[in-house]
Formats: sequence, C-alpha cells, structure tokens
Amino acid sequence: MRKRLGIISLFVLLFITFIAVWNYSYYEGLEEAYVPVEKDKELPVIPSEIGVFQRSQYALEYANMAVDEKYQRSLSTYYDNRAFYGAPPSIPHDVENERNMGENSCLKCHENGGFAEKFNAYAPVTPHPEMINCRQCHVPQQSQTVFKGSNFEKGTIPLVGVNSALEGGPPAIPHQLQLRENCLACHAGPSAPKEIRVTHPERINCRQCHVPNDKETKETGIFNRANPHEQ
Amino acid sequence: MYTSISNRRDFIKKMAQLSAITAAATMFPGILFAEEQEEGLPKGGNLDWKKAPCRFCGVGCGVLVGVEEGKAVAVKGDPASSVNKGLCCVKGYHSVMALYGKDRLTKPLVKKNGRYVETSMDEALDLIASKMKETIKDHGKDAVSIYGSGQWTIPDGYAASKLFKGCIGTNNVEANARLCMASAVTGFLTSFGLDEPMGCYEDIDYADVFVLWGNNMAEMHPVLFSRLLDQRLKRGVKIIDFATRTTRTSMAADKSILFLPQTDLAVANAICYEIIKNGWVNETFVKKHCNFSKGLTNMGYGLEDKYKFKDKPEAISFEAFKTFLEDYTPEKVEKISGVSARDIKYMAAYYGDPNKKVMSLWCMGPNQHSRGTWMNNLIYNIHLLTGKISTPGNSPFSLTGQPSACGTVREVGTLTHKLPHGVVMKKEHREFAAKIWDVPVENIDPKPTYHTVEMFRALDRGDIRFMWIQVTNPMVTIPKLKRYRDAAKKEGRFIVVSDIYPTPTTDIADVILPSAMWVEREGMYGNSERRTQYFEQMVQPPGEAMSDTWQLIEVAKRMGFEKQFYYKEETHVEEIYTEYRKHHDNKKHNMAPLQVLKENPGMQWPYVDGKPTKWRFNSKYDPACSNGEEFHFYGKPDGKAIIWQRPYEPAAESPDSEYPFWLNTGRVVEHWHTGSMTRRIPVLHRAMPHAYVELNPGDAKRMQIRTGDKVKLTTRRGEIVLPASVNERGVPAPMQVFVPFFDESMLINDITLDSFCPISKEPDYKKCAVKVEKA
Amino acid sequence: MPIKSYLAHPHDGQKERLIEELSALKECDVLPSQNKEVIVLVTDTEDEDREKILKQKLEAISSLKLLAMVSGFNTPQNN
Repeated sequence: MRKRLGIISLFVLLFITFIAVWNYSYYEGLEEAYVPVEKDKELPVIPSEIGVFQRSQYALEYANMAVDEKYQRSLSTYYDNRAFYGAPPSIPHDVENERNMGENSCLKCHENGGFAEKFNAYAPVTPHPEMINCRQCHVPQQSQTVFKGSNFEKGTIPLVGVNSALEGGPPAIPHQLQLRENCLACHAGPSAPKEIRVTHPERINCRQCHVPNDKETKETGIFNRANPHEQ
Repeated sequence: MYTSISNRRDFIKKMAQLSAITAAATMFPGILFAEEQEEGLPKGGNLDWKKAPCRFCGVGCGVLVGVEEGKAVAVKGDPASSVNKGLCCVKGYHSVMALYGKDRLTKPLVKKNGRYVETSMDEALDLIASKMKETIKDHGKDAVSIYGSGQWTIPDGYAASKLFKGCIGTNNVEANARLCMASAVTGFLTSFGLDEPMGCYEDIDYADVFVLWGNNMAEMHPVLFSRLLDQRLKRGVKIIDFATRTTRTSMAADKSILFLPQTDLAVANAICYEIIKNGWVNETFVKKHCNFSKGLTNMGYGLEDKYKFKDKPEAISFEAFKTFLEDYTPEKVEKISGVSARDIKYMAAYYGDPNKKVMSLWCMGPNQHSRGTWMNNLIYNIHLLTGKISTPGNSPFSLTGQPSACGTVREVGTLTHKLPHGVVMKKEHREFAAKIWDVPVENIDPKPTYHTVEMFRALDRGDIRFMWIQVTNPMVTIPKLKRYRDAAKKEGRFIVVSDIYPTPTTDIADVILPSAMWVEREGMYGNSERRTQYFEQMVQPPGEAMSDTWQLIEVAKRMGFEKQFYYKEETHVEEIYTEYRKHHDNKKHNMAPLQVLKENPGMQWPYVDGKPTKWRFNSKYDPACSNGEEFHFYGKPDGKAIIWQRPYEPAAESPDSEYPFWLNTGRVVEHWHTGSMTRRIPVLHRAMPHAYVELNPGDAKRMQIRTGDKVKLTTRRGEIVLPASVNERGVPAPMQVFVPFFDESMLINDITLDSFCPISKEPDYKKCAVKVEKA
Repeated sequence: MPIKSYLAHPHDGQKERLIEELSALKECDVLPSQNKEVIVLVTDTEDEDREKILKQKLEAISSLKLLAMVSGFNTPQNN
C-alpha cells in the first residue's frame, strides 16, 4: 500500500512537473513568437533629388545598348510635339480607350519604353511614371486644323552644344527640373533624341557634374561682392 | 554629352568606331581610349594638357588642365589617375574659371586711415616684416601668429612652420584644418598612434557594404561616391546612409537610417554590444592586436576662455568593456537615438558577418562633433572588434575636405603641437627638426600654445597682436563669428591676409597680399588616401600676385633668417620638398622623391623601395610591419591598437522651450567652403546663388512657410534672416533646420556655437539650439 | 561606300609601328588604346573595288598580328 502510494505520488509529482514545464515552455514559446510592432519610420522623399537615381538600375544596359539609328528621334521631332519649350508633349497616336485616364494603358509602353511595331518607333519613357492620370496633361491630336489662328510664339529653344562653360566641360541643364527629375528617362535609351542622348549613362549621379542654369526663374547674374575694397 | 553629327557618313564612321570600342571593352576590361575622354574638344587645337590635382576637395582627383596661349581654358579628368579615373565633379570641371574672376586681387593693399592704398610688393613685405619684429619686441614672440589652411600646398605649410616654430620660436601656427580634421587626427592617434587612414580608395573596389556615417557623399565627395555607385551596378554592393538629415545620398542609398543629433555615440556603442552579444568578435585578432582603454568623461565643451583638458587613459579589461556596453543594448539606445533596435541590429549584422567586407566612410559628421575624437574611436572599435581593418575592402576610412588637409596640415604638421615629424612636447622630436631646419634646438618651444578657436580668443584678449592669415576665410568660418570679427578690428591688432579675392576676411586686414593660386605656381597637395600629388606652374599669376610660399620666404629673409631660407626663386619648391622629405625618412612615412611625383598621378606614402603602401599595418602590404604577425599596429609602443570605452554624452547645447530646433550647417555640391572661388564661377553661382534654411515639410506647413519665404533664425549668439527651402536639396528631420555656410552675405556662423571636442579642439558646427520664425 | 571597323592587334612591341603604318593610309582612322595592346581601326572607302585594294594593303602590313572586323556599313550615297 505504502509502495503503491509512493508510486502514485511519484506519478503525480512527475505529472505536476510536466504541467509546470510544459506551461513554462508554452509561455516562453509565446514570448519568442511575439514580435513587437514597430511602426516603420517614414523617410521623407525629396522629389527634386530622388529622380536623379531612378532607372539607374538600367544604367549599365543603357551604356551597352546599341544605337538603332534608323528609328532614333531627333530634337526637332521632339519639340514638334510640344506647344512650347517645357510644355507637356501631346500624344501623336491613337489612344486605346477614351474613358481611360491613362495609367497602365500608357505605362505599358511608356514606363520602360521599347519598340512599338505599330508605330514603327521606340516609345519614349516617362520621367514621372508615378503620376498616372496621364491624360490630364497629355492629349491626343485629333485634328490637324485649328479653330482660329494663333499669335503664340514658341519661344527660344535651348540649343545643344552651347551649354558648357568651358570647352569639353559638362553642359549645364538648360531646363527646369520639375516633373523631369529623372534624367535617364529622356537622356538614355533608344527613344532619347539623338542630340541629347548621354554618352555615359552608367555615371548615375548626373547632377554632380551637370547643374541647372536656370534654378531661379529669373536670371541670377554673376556673383558680385557687395562691398569690394574701395581704393 | 552626345555630339551632334550632321554628316551621315561621319555619323556612320562614329558608329563603327563606337562598336569597335565596345567590342574592345568586353575583351579588355578597363581599356582606355584617349579620344573617348576628349570627345567634344576640338582636335588638334592649341591646347596643352598638363596634370594637376584638383584645387578643391580632399578627394584629390587628378585633372588635366588645358592651357592655350598662357591661359587655362579647359579641364578634364585625368584617365590615368587611379583616384577619379577620368571623372570630375561640377566644381572640378569648372575649376580653372576660379582663376579669372573680375575682382581678382593683383596688387598689395595697405590700410591707411581707414582706406586701402595700393603699394608695391616690396613695400608691403617690408611692412609685414617690420611689424612682426616690432610686435615680438613689444609683446613677446607668442604675440605673433600664423593661421593657414588645408589648401596650403606642402611648401607653403613647411615654410610657415619653419619660420614660426623653428626661427621665431613660437608655436602659434594653426590651420583651418583644425575646424575640419582635428578629430580625425586625434581619433587616429588615440586608436592607432599614427595619423591618416590605413586603407585607400581601392578599398571601394573590394568592399561589399558601405556605411556612411553622417556623410552626404553624393554632394561632398561626389567622385568617390560615383565609384560606390559604379560598384553597385557591377557587383550589387549595399550603401547604407546613416545620417541626421535626408539628402541626395539618402535618395541614392539602399537604406537610409536617421538618428537624432549627437546620438551616433550611442548607436556605435550599440553596434559593438550586438557584435559581442552575437559572438561576432574576431577573438584571435582582438587578443593579438588590441588593448582596451578608457579615458575621462564629462569633459565639458570648451565654451570658456583658456579651457584646458588632458585625457587620462587607463587600461581596462575586455570584461570591463563588455560591462560598460550593457548600457547600450539596441533597445535602450532606440530610446535615446530614435533609431529602431531593428535598424541597429541591421547595421551590426553587416559589420558582424564574417563574409561581408565593410567600409565605413565619414567626414564632417563625426569630426565636427563635440565628442569628435570619441566618435572616431567608436567607429574604429567596430572595425577592430570584428578584425575588419587594414585589408582590401575592410576599411574605416576618414575622408578629408581640403586638397591638402592631410598633405600639409597633418603631415607637415601646421598645428600648434606638431612638428613635421612628431610633436613639440618631445625633446627628441625637437632635436630632430632643429637639425634639419638648421636652428638651435632651444628655438623650438616645448609648449603648444593656442588651438584655432583659442587663437582667435587670444586675439580678442590681446595676447596675440599680429596674425597672418593665408588661403582661408575665417571671417566666414569661425563659429560664434561676431566675437572674433570684433576682436580682429580692435585697436593694436595687425592682420595680414594673403588671398586671391576680396572676402570678409580681407575686410578686416591691415595688409592684403595678392596670392598666386593653384596652377599659377608650383606645389604639391596630399589627399585623403596618403597620396601626394605635384603640379607645375602652368600660367602666370595676375599682376604682382605671389605664391604663399614665396611671400613667407621673402618675409623670413627680411627678418634675418637668410641662412634657413636659402632657397632660390627658380628652384625653391624642389629645394623645400627635398628638405621636407628628410623629416619623414623612415619606413613608416617615407615620401616619394619629386621626380616620381612628377611622373605619376600622385604617389602614396609610405613609399618604400620604390613602391607605395596601399594598406598600412598589414604585413602583406606594409614593409614597416616587423612583429612577424599578420598585422602590426606599430604606431603604439606594444604594436597593439586600442579599443576605447567612450560613452554617449549630450551636445553642448540642446533644443529647449525657448530655442526648440536643432541647427545644422554644411555644404552643397556646387560650392566649396566659403564660396570665395566657386561663387566667382558663373555656372556654379547660377546653379546655387544664395544660402537658404532647409525646413522639414511638416514644420514648414505648421508655420505656414513656403520655399522662398523669409525665415528668422535666432540663437543665444544672434539672429539671421534667410529664405526658406522646403523639399528641395535636403530635408531635415522634424524640429531641425539646415543652413549651408558658403554665402558671405548670410553668415550663419554669426549664430553658431563655439563648443568643441575637448581632445581635438575641433568645433561642433552641426549642433546648437535655434528658434525658427517666419520673418 | 563601305565603312568598316576593326580591332587591330599588333605583334608584341610593335604597337607604335602599327599605328604609324595604319595612319599612313588615307582611308584609315586610327584610335589606339592607351593602356592595352589593341587599336581601333575605322576604314572608309569609295567603293567595293577600292575596299579590296585597301584590304590587300592592310594584309601586307608586317606589324599587324590580327585584324578582327567588328562592324561594317555600306551607305548608298556619299553625303
């Protein structure tokens, strides 16, 4: 009897130990599994700066890409498509769906470019694929005639090859950067107008050498000391 | 840029040529064709290309200057230079234009009755010499001083040091590098016993991960950053930007981590904690090559005049170091720094991974820091604990900001306590220098005098009466500027300024000497990777402009030191360099002979047996290693590097209810330092015409401030009004603002604080408390 | 009007001589590499016949080890 009681109490003891150990390890396990929820700190994005580095993952491909001269664009056809220097280009082809704001219908060709057999041309790459209501700025040309004539003048278009301060120096950027922060979109790849296609897309940090020359909307002038030494 | 080709035939030929070049490039990686670099330049023009190191930053790019009919007219990167491999940044490409500003100083100007009068060079030099002699007679030798810069060429700094320390016998020799590199120097000296990086730029080609400590490399060291980007394209390396402000570098980086100002100290310790906790310590390396030490804490901030501090190092055990780190668990540090524990562990994991080579890069973030020496020590701690040091790709790399901060200030030793070899405090070093200088050893004073901030304070107090300022613009760059500007204008002070343009510093001068700049004279610079680069004179300086070296020699001769300043005008640069090399004639620092410098795009020291040393302290590469082990930190007597116990301590001035914002200052890619050169380059001025104050968009919205609105910044030192910049070049964290210091018409240093690192005496330009209001 | 580009490999130590010899031919544009033993050669001839003559001239150059064509164009008119 004593023996049996002893055995039973031993089992009870073992059982209690088991429960305790199991319980402990269960809670331990729970603790391990608990990952504190950390809110992701949002990093500010600097619109005028981030663009420079966008598409840089393709830079080496751009550098090695052969030039398809037959289908390359030139600056004059580039400007033909714009009401003035810096205006949003109009759409020179039929659009898929008039009710569509753009988005993927446009982006499927214009996000990364490529040869469009239908138009016998390379699709230009948009520098701002994150703005998806394309059609708010870009409109098709449904008619070649005008309602009434216009006295609007296109203004002067910056020329190529005259923006360097020194011979062989890096040309300054002759245009505003707003909505055109991404350099490689327009200056690299088969759709880039040949005159402004960059010879060294692999350099990526474009603006370490090329600085805007019209940062302020008015002429900045040159630096003059306010109080030069009177003699 | 693509050149427009009108003739179709030429175009096809160009295409044919390009495809052949491309084919050649796939067969021979790294192949160079001169024409590729020269594209766009007229072929067969009269341009004569001569090599020089770039005039601007400490990267030390090799440039080729095109000279036509005695004028510098073009610049291109030197494809033969291993530093930049043919690339420059926008400053470098336009550097020669800085020679031709309209208001270039061409004649000496002497102030008489409040007006500047043109004189001849002879007369001006006579006046300077007699004024120095008079001041020494009336007030003692420690009343005269010279304040130079990291833009001094090696001969400039050498002549200054020899004249003041060797001949006159005062240690009043300082340079603006105190404001940018001093913490790097003391960091190296305390951790390794020898100054300057063990690695080199080639580390970039081997490293897998780059951690940028408070370093906006995309703007400040753009050409090196291009090498990082290039490696990312080719090898998929990771770039981690660890900063207080979102910048162009953050936009380019793979990961950007923001921390609160000053808490980098805590984060670096937390990384060490994680490395030890996870068993990532390289035990054999640490056992063989490292000691542990601690120093004094609560050192203060040097805000009071005549502040003195001397650290008392004390050896500790690895166990004690581990106990100290208990206070820096990622979870605890998260609360101080605002960096999530996860991000701290992320960084630690890269440093700890034995299969990843890590390069840490930093410049003014950790250096212009009220605990700058500590911050440098802490980064070395991480690399020493993991043994990731002195091998290709494993490299803690301290970048410099000036073309010869290393070459002149640190190697020639134009700081109050330094000699070209060693320090003034040590008898054997004084004897060694005196012998080469040909002066009695008693001439060299064994007591250091004033570091930069204290030197200007001494000028204010009247302890210093005469100051000669060369190649620098302290009236824009000294923190808490107003006090020192007023000091310089006091009666009984005589200030000589050698510069190339009128600046706020020439405004306070009694004599202005026109200097010959960069390639208008002959000289050498030494860059961040121990590379000494020579440049010849390519063009004539304007008017009576004279090199800083020759100005010093002329004055020295007038003061009666003809014997020591025996140099001839035609050959003085060579003579000085040859004499200077004698100071470093040992395996640990030997400099390449001039002929070697002339023939190469620079040469790294130690130059031993006709070969540069790329990785110091590693016996495979460094002939000075002599302990028979893989590594030998021979700068310390027992050959071991030191892992320092350095705690987190707050900044000298933190935001409070009255001044609730942090004020940070710095540079932009277009301008170099105070803009006295780059602002005279029209391309750069148009791209960045004036200073601004960057605000966080959230703060700006709350305060109804838009880009261009006038904003008033007020600190305990004064106030300034600047146009706002929201969401432009950089975005500061909430309740922080950033102002670039290049603009002399918006002197941000009028309101910064002159607190400094007690060990290095380098001011903290990155942190003070400011009130921000819409003006 | 054939335009062709080649990579010309000189015999050891004869790069300078090869550059000279190629430059002497008026149909040849020469672009030597600065750091490798290879030269980019672009040829431009009036017609197929002259192209053949040039080809023979090139083959006669003794310092030339190997000539590898990279690309060829044939423009219809000479403008």
